Formats: sequence, structure tokens, C-alpha cells
Amino acid sequence: MSFVETEERRALRAAVSELGHEYGYAWFTARARKGEQTTELWQEAGKLGYLGVNLPEQYGGGGGGMADLSIVLEELGAAGCPLLMMVVSPAICGTVISRFGTDGQKQRWLPGLADGSTTMAFAITEPDAGSNSHNITTTARRTADGWSLSGRKVYISGLDVAQAVLVVGRTEDAKTGRLKPALFIVPTDAPGVEFRQIEMDLISPDKQFSLYLDDVALPTEALVGSEDAALLQLFAGLNPERIMASAFAIGIGRHALGKAVAYVKDRQVWKAPIGAHQGISHPLAQVKIELELARLMMQKAAALYDAGEDLAAGEAANMAKYAAGEACVRATDQAVQSLGGNGMTVEYGVASLVAAARATRIAPVSREMILNFVAQHSLGLPKSY
Amino acid sequence: MKIVVCAKFVPDATADRRFRSEDNTVDRAGVDGLLSELDEYAVEAALTVKENGDAEVTVLTVGPEQAADAVKKGLQMGADAGVHVIDDAIHGSDAVATSLILAKALSKLEADLVVFGMGSTDGGMGVVPAMVAERLGLPAVTLGSEVTVDGTTVKIRRDGDLASDTVEGTLPLVLSVSDQANEPRYPSFKGIMAAKKKPVETWSLADLELSGDQVGQAAAWTEVVEVTARPPRTAGTIVADEDGSGAAQLVEFLSTNKFL
Repeated sequence: MSFVETEERRALRAAVSELGHEYGYAWFTARARKGEQTTELWQEAGKLGYLGVNLPEQYGGGGGGMADLSIVLEELGAAGCPLLMMVVSPAICGTVISRFGTDGQKQRWLPGLADGSTTMAFAITEPDAGSNSHNITTTARRTADGWSLSGRKVYISGLDVAQAVLVVGRTEDAKTGRLKPALFIVPTDAPGVEFRQIEMDLISPDKQFSLYLDDVALPTEALVGSEDAALLQLFAGLNPERIMASAFAIGIGRHALGKAVAYVKDRQVWKAPIGAHQGISHPLAQVKIELELARLMMQKAAALYDAGEDLAAGEAANMAKYAAGEACVRATDQAVQSLGGNGMTVEYGVASLVAAARATRIAPVSREMILNFVAQHSLGLPKSY
Repeated sequence: MKIVVCAKFVPDATADRRFRSEDNTVDRAGVDGLLSELDEYAVEAALTVKENGDAEVTVLTVGPEQAADAVKKGLQMGADAGVHVIDDAIHGSDAVATSLILAKALSKLEADLVVFGMGSTDGGMGVVPAMVAERLGLPAVTLGSEVTVDGTTVKIRRDGDLASDTVEGTLPLVLSVSDQANEPRYPSFKGIMAAKKKPVETWSLADLELSGDQVGQAAAWTEVVEVTARPPRTAGTIVADEDGSGAAQLVEFLSTNKFL
């Protein structure tokens, strides 16, 4: 096991960081406040190959892994530009399609996901299913030409920027008649697809939507891979999701910490900069430690995932997501506190991070669901639900 | 066409830069270094020429071991090969000696087009391109804010305070570009991954048929006698306008200090 980052990864980190700083948090929040998108950065990162580092080279990707992709999101976040759709488009959708898709699906979707010209959203959560994916009611019926998909999804990120959405639904098993999960690629402009924005009290350019699927006619090849592999597919996609959610949170945490440290080094009220006072410096040092620990777990999860250890990666990815969410909340809160009244202003740009940080404790999997997972799978305790 | 970009490894300008107390040279070991930002424009200019025609781009650097990072950055951006001239005797070389080493290496590389940035972000003299051109007997087309290469003709726009000149030369020549010339690209992920496989040669002074006494600190035409750190920033004067006399106080301050 090596803790020395390769030269290539260091170079990737440096290049992405420079790109992120060219845009920066002021630009990012200005877009968010105006309800606008961050398309230019997405496109530029895509053209440079940063969004598709994890996808196979033969489909236009970089041939790297989740370790590389998480570096990209972490550094963009640390520079103040956390691109949420990276969690979804290249990480979940790109992984599922490249691991389980047919050749046709790979050729159709992966090059676009790799260079950022296509963004694919991911729809799993339902109003009555929440985190309980066994209760999913979105259902696909077989038709003469393929499928007809109906159902309703909530809290789907980025449908306004997505050309397609990977929908987790169910189909009737031909033999047993029971419903079993299946993943479908649905163009967002297909007849019968409607989505409505959910107003959030978050300053983020990434918007949330309710998605309505009303007898959406899909061709046979809309079903990802084989009908029987859906659960495997789902789990294959969820580990990258958690690794990337960790990178998202750690990036925001690093950004907040960076701002706080710069401020307390400079701000002088009595003789020394306030950063010399332990009441200020110790909590920031704690935040630094917690962010580093979370990042280490994220790197472990990514390394395990890239080594093909899906099961071990699942545990590590959940733990990383837990730790990253907690560290991110602590970092933004302490940043606001360090800046005092300035911490609540628009000008200093830390208060606006608080709600975004808070969301990292909830999405894409809540702290409580992770604790359930660890209690049950890591500790062998009885299932509570 | 063979294009060679002369790239310098400099201490990171955002870090705490220092001089070595023993010989008053720039401390390159104590701080992180990188490819001089101004040389990124030179790399970009070379890569643009390459994209518009048939050319091979080599990044050439003279410097200590870590200077390999400057070459690596050029390769990550898209250059094809690198040359690193490294020799303990080079330490402390002035611009004159640097131009000698570069000229020798450029002859050996048989460069058709030599591209420089407008100066280094550490030394900042900006004289090396002209010195190299003089040594090689080539025309120097310097400080281009806009560069066009058409066949063997290189045309630049050089912006001055009063006018912009258009200067033209024929290959082979030495070109330097300003920070207005282009927007240097970020290394793409593919560029980063490919850089490792690109050839980098390491040359010593002997490889360039130079001897140690022609370069280095002892051969320098000037000597840095003393280095004094910049005094710490002091608090400025704050003019508080409490009774409407603020403007008068401000004018008083500016005129006493001869700012007006």
C-alpha cells in the first residue's frame, strides 16, 4: 500500500485546481443566485478529459479509475466549484454503462459522458420509497417495440442539464411474475417525460426535480445490459456515487477551511492575528484532521473499488461518505465562526456553504442509513427494519 | 519544422521566496518550483504552430534536478520531447552564461524556431532571447503579443505604449511571446498520462562541449553583493472622515508625500 500519490495524479490535481480557481466560488455562487448553470466549466473540464478520467479509453475516456475521478471533483470543490453532476453522470451512469451496458449502449453514451457533451442524470428515489429501494414502484411493461415506463421520482439532480436519465425501475420477471429491478436509459425529451423543479433553500447551481414518467415508450435497447443483472448494476453504480459524494463534501470542506485560515492569518484585532489564539486555531486544526481522515477513507474506498474489490469498497465508501459529510459540516460551521460577523456576509462567501454542507450529511445516502449499514454488515448486528 | 521552447524552472511566486545566504543566489531547493508562468505562453505558442502545421516541439531547460518538472509540464501540455541540461558547474550562472548553454543546446537540436517567454518570473531580465539570437546569428523577433507562422515567415505584433509594431522574420529565428499572446492550455488528462512515455534527454556541459569555467557563478559578469529582505508591510494611514474634513486630509496626505 502506498500513500505516495503518483506523479500523474499530482499533475491532475494541480491542473484541475488551476482550472477551478480560474472560475472560482464567486463565479459559482453568482451563477447559482441567478438560477443559472455552470455549463462553461463543465464543458471545459470535459474537453480536457477531466470528467471522463474513469471511463474506458476506447470510448473516449481516460482509462483511469475512481481514484482519479475523485481527485477531479475534490479539487474543483476545493477551488469553490463543486460540480455535483460529476457524482451522477460519469461516476454512476458512466460506471453502470461501461460495466454492464451492451456494446451499442457503450458506443452511444460513453463518449459523450467522457467529454461532457452528454450529461446523464440518475433517478432512484421515489416519494413513497425514499431510501428503501425495494419499494420502488416505477414499472416497465413490455410492448411490441420495447418498453413502456411509468412512475414518479423525486430529488433528481440536474434534469435541466441532462440529455438523458438513468431510471431505476422494475420489470415483471417472465418466469415468476414477480417484480425485479431494471435500469433504463430515458432521453429527457422523450414523450411522456416531465419534470418540475423542487424549490430548495440551497445556493447551488444544481437544481432538484420531481420526475414524472407517463407511459414513456422506450426501445428495447433502453434497458441497460441484461435484465437479470440489475441489482449488481445498481450496487456497481452506488459505490462510485458514495466515493464521489465524499469527494464533493471534502472539496467543500477544504474550500471553507482555506477561506477561514486565510482570514484568521490576516485579521488582527489586538496585537497578533486572531489565528494565533488557540480558541481560533484549535478548532481549525481539528477540522483539518477530520477532513484528512475522511479523505484517507475516500482514497481507500477508491483504491479498493479500482482494484475490483466491490464488497470491501462498499464498506469503505459508506464510511468515507459518513466521515466526509460530518467533516464538511464541521468545516463550514467553523469557517463561519472564525469569520465572526463577516462569516455571515455574502462578500466572504462562507455562510452560503453551510446549507450545501448540511446536504452532504443527507444525500445521496443519509448518515443514519450508513450507520444502519455499518451496524448490520460490519458489526453483524440485527437488522432494524 | 523543429520547434524548441526554452523553459525555465522557477520558485513558485506564491510561496515564500528566498536567497541563499552563502552565495546570494536564488534558493531553489528550499521552495517548490514550477515552470515559469511566462514560459507557459511560449509552450502554448509552439503547440499552436504545431497544430496548424507539421512540427515537433521540444522543451529545453537548464537547471538543477527539480527543473525536470518544468520539462514535464511542457510535455503534459503537449510537447513531444524534452531536453534537460544539468551540471553542478551551472549553479549561479548569469544571463550571459545561460545564453551560452542554451545556444549550444539549440545548435545541437538544430532548431528552426526557438520560442521564449517574455522573461522569467524570478530573474526577470528578459534579455536571454536576444543574447541567444546573437550567439546563433539568428534574427530575434521578440515580445510578440500576437504570433502568426505562415510557412517560413513568422509575423508578430509587438504592443508598445504609443504604437503597435508588426515585425516579420524568416525561419530559422528566435521568437519571444508576451503574456498577451495566447491563453495557455491546461494539461489534459491524456496529456498528463502520455507525458511519462515521452523521451527526455539529459545533457551535461561536456555534451555541449562546454567547460565548467565558462559558466557558473565564478564566470558571471556581475556579482550580487548583498541581499536585503523586503521590509515587513506597515499599517497605512487611515483617514477617518468624521467632521467632513476627510477630503482635505486626503489631499494633504497625497501632497505631503508628493503623490500629487
